[in-house]
Amino acid sequence: MSYERVLMLLAVVAGLVSVEGAGSPVKAGEMVQATAAAPDPGAQVYAARCSMCHQPTRAGLPPTFPSLIGIGSKYTEAQIAEIIHNGKGKMPKPLPELSNADVAALKHFLIAAPAASAAMPPAAATAVSVAVAGGQAHGVQAGDALFRQSCAFCHGRDAMGGESGPDLTRSKLVLSDVAGNKIADVVKNGRQNSEKKMPPFPFSDQEILDVSAYIHSQVEKANASAKKPGGRKGVDVSDLQTGNVEAGKAYFNGAGTCSTCHSPTGDLAGVATRREGLQLEMQMLYPRGAKSKGTVTTRAGEKVTGVVAYKDEFVVGLKTADGTYRSWNLDKVTYVEDAPVKKHAELFPNYTDKDIHDLMAYIQTLK
Amino acid sequence: MKLRNVALAFFLMTGIFCAGAQGPDMAGLLHPKADSWPTYHGDYSGRRHSPLTQITPANVGKMGLAWAFQTGLNTQIKSSPLLADGVLYFTVPDNIWAVDARSGHMIWRYTYPPNPGLHIGQRGVGIYKGTLYFVTPDCHVVALDAKNGTVKWNVLVADVSKGYWMSMAPLVVGGHVIVGASGDFDNLTGMMKSLDPVTGAVQWEWNSTPPPGTPGQATGGATWMTGTYDPQLNLIYWGTGNPTPVLNGKVRPGDNLYTCSIVALNPDTGKLVWAFQPSPHDTHDWDAAEVPVLVDADFHGTPRKMLMQSSRNGYFFVLDRTNGKSLLTVPFGPVNWTKGIDAKGQPIPNPEKEPAPDGRLIAPDEGGMTNYRSPSFDPKTGLFVVDAHPSFSLYFAKPADGAYGWAGADYGLWGMGVIEAIDYQTGKIRWSHEVGQGGSGAGVLTTDSGVLFTGDGAGNVIALETATGKTLWHAGTGAGMQTSPMTYELDGRQYVLEGSGSVMFAWALPESMAAGN
Repeated sequence: MSYERVLMLLAVVAGLVSVEGAGSPVKAGEMVQATAAAPDPGAQVYAARCSMCHQPTRAGLPPTFPSLIGIGSKYTEAQIAEIIHNGKGKMPKPLPELSNADVAALKHFLIAAPAASAAMPPAAATAVSVAVAGGQAHGVQAGDALFRQSCAFCHGRDAMGGESGPDLTRSKLVLSDVAGNKIADVVKNGRQNSEKKMPPFPFSDQEILDVSAYIHSQVEKANASAKKPGGRKGVDVSDLQTGNVEAGKAYFNGAGTCSTCHSPTGDLAGVATRREGLQLEMQMLYPRGAKSKGTVTTRAGEKVTGVVAYKDEFVVGLKTADGTYRSWNLDKVTYVEDAPVKKHAELFPNYTDKDIHDLMAYIQTLK
Repeated sequence: MKLRNVALAFFLMTGIFCAGAQGPDMAGLLHPKADSWPTYHGDYSGRRHSPLTQITPANVGKMGLAWAFQTGLNTQIKSSPLLADGVLYFTVPDNIWAVDARSGHMIWRYTYPPNPGLHIGQRGVGIYKGTLYFVTPDCHVVALDAKNGTVKWNVLVADVSKGYWMSMAPLVVGGHVIVGASGDFDNLTGMMKSLDPVTGAVQWEWNSTPPPGTPGQATGGATWMTGTYDPQLNLIYWGTGNPTPVLNGKVRPGDNLYTCSIVALNPDTGKLVWAFQPSPHDTHDWDAAEVPVLVDADFHGTPRKMLMQSSRNGYFFVLDRTNGKSLLTVPFGPVNWTKGIDAKGQPIPNPEKEPAPDGRLIAPDEGGMTNYRSPSFDPKTGLFVVDAHPSFSLYFAKPADGAYGWAGADYGLWGMGVIEAIDYQTGKIRWSHEVGQGGSGAGVLTTDSGVLFTGDGAGNVIALETATGKTLWHAGTGAGMQTSPMTYELDGRQYVLEGSGSVMFAWALPESMAAGN
């Protein structure tokens, strides 16, 4: 086989492959439904490659990421192609898998698309308002759209509680937040301790402002609904007043075994002035954030006691009295843990609902 | 380039193209080879069990990282990768990656445009004859060329503006691409659709509940997880979600069929053949969407075609899957919401434990005794291994909460992650292995060599001995595993894949130890 013939064969193979890649197994007649929903290929490339900086609306985030709206009147077609191919300033070159056809489609999309249209399939018409909201119109409406996409599953469509996420309109953090100054940290970093597992969300500063504005607007709505007695959704302090103080006190000192660890004049003195309502009841049933004490004895005989800062099946980390963090492989040391909070978990199967309501009535007297 | 090199390149190219990109046909889906994982569950049975034996209890301690793939996004991977022709396909909402299963390098990436659906999770794609099937948060089903991610068709199957969204991995059964939708925050009818794999045309639709507004009837019964399939009986098995309004059961008296149910449908017609309801009249959001695991084995001495489910409501069910009759119903952790089990083997909900204005203490919590991450059935030991979550919570509902969507409030108090090995004949827990307070969120994979893979609550991927639950190996991944692990063998090397955080990890024995080297 000559060199040329090999090359030719290679070309044929490549040709066949590209034909196979481009050809659709679907006949034109069967594509009616599909065509109606088929996105502009340029819009697709834009959404995949460009929208993260220049935004789905092409409005950009100036000054870092310039707006591309009306780019066709600023640059010639050749200049646009040049920028797409070679990048510009901080803009990276397109990824290698971007084909010439992709670049051509993208160029066409950038020049031809009207300012209001965003990079998405026409079938997803409702998406336009979201993208526009995300890129241009800021505030409550944009925050609502973002909230629906990323937050509503856990915190509910109306921010008043959903699957596993708390009612944000009653959150202390939200109520003390001003324009996202506290919400931002939770959104960006999530909550990653053993009891609260909120993932972080890659929101921009603007998006955090928007979503905070939405949450605060829901707080206002909730407060307005509360003007009518019993009109507010969620758990009010007044909802939790069905218990009997005397029965609760008896349970505390008797069957409940609470008094074996706690005292109304000691650790629980004034507890009802520090928390109320649902927060008090939840803390009563299982005190979140309670510290446990761990003691490690090494094979060399060193004994270290501290607050348990980390523990899994393999490693324990203690914070000693002077604030130093030290860790050990558990198979290399003897470890003893003093975790009184575990008693609370053991007690759950013992409670009736009446026990809880009575206990709550009693605990609320500890002011 | 020398002629020899050109010729070599040519043969390599043709080799790649000959071997590649046809994807599995029905035979490939029915009988997956060691170098493929062609459905969400690995095969139609949903056992998430692999016949591979290279990694054993004796050598798993030597396992290390083969490669890791960084999605570069701040989004948790919840999908189970598919493997076909040496290429892995996995997803997060709006994104598919095609990744080389040997090296972890990206072949292509598909990004779906921004859209308003709920972006809570994406479980993966389906594949059939070289085409991938992908659902989007705004309820489109997109068919793509597995070779390059080019869109073949895109059809709308539900209305996102009404409150539907989609997250599941389609189940392909011959000429049917079967999809289901999610949606809890509105009073919606649960629905499944079967699409033509070539055109996307709808073949049938099955509704779990009557249309919204039907007097006294529940809506809901979302179909948000991938079901299983018995080719002999020609039945697909699917778990349906909770009724709506979710926590307020007063406006929807009765059992609320077919919510919180396991249904058997004919995949050719979508007709219901039988149903079993793990949670009649649910008021705690306990979808029965967990994997309906299909096992053929003896039950108390009689060979049976069984279906097993560790349900979110805290009960482990064994059914005869030919007719849906109960063989065993037993809790696999603390439950306090029933008055007992009825003659059909279904729990009887205690009205006193419905959400109330002053709160009810409920076990398990709303996330449930387990959730969507897969359990695994190990045929050798007869153990059904599940990531369990003993837990307690408070449930509230009052008139102001209304009768639409969530309609109440619930708050988790405490929960613990425990990997439990259940003896399917008795429901007895043979061993349990704590994986940390708060729970783990990892699925379970068992293998024929007697090693199982899962994760703990601190972000460790762990290998346990299937027979005893003893820890054999672990590695910290820096984030909790939200996926169900899968495994495959390529070129004589067995890989175990799991996603933790936004990174896909491939674990394997050192190349020097892998068979054939």
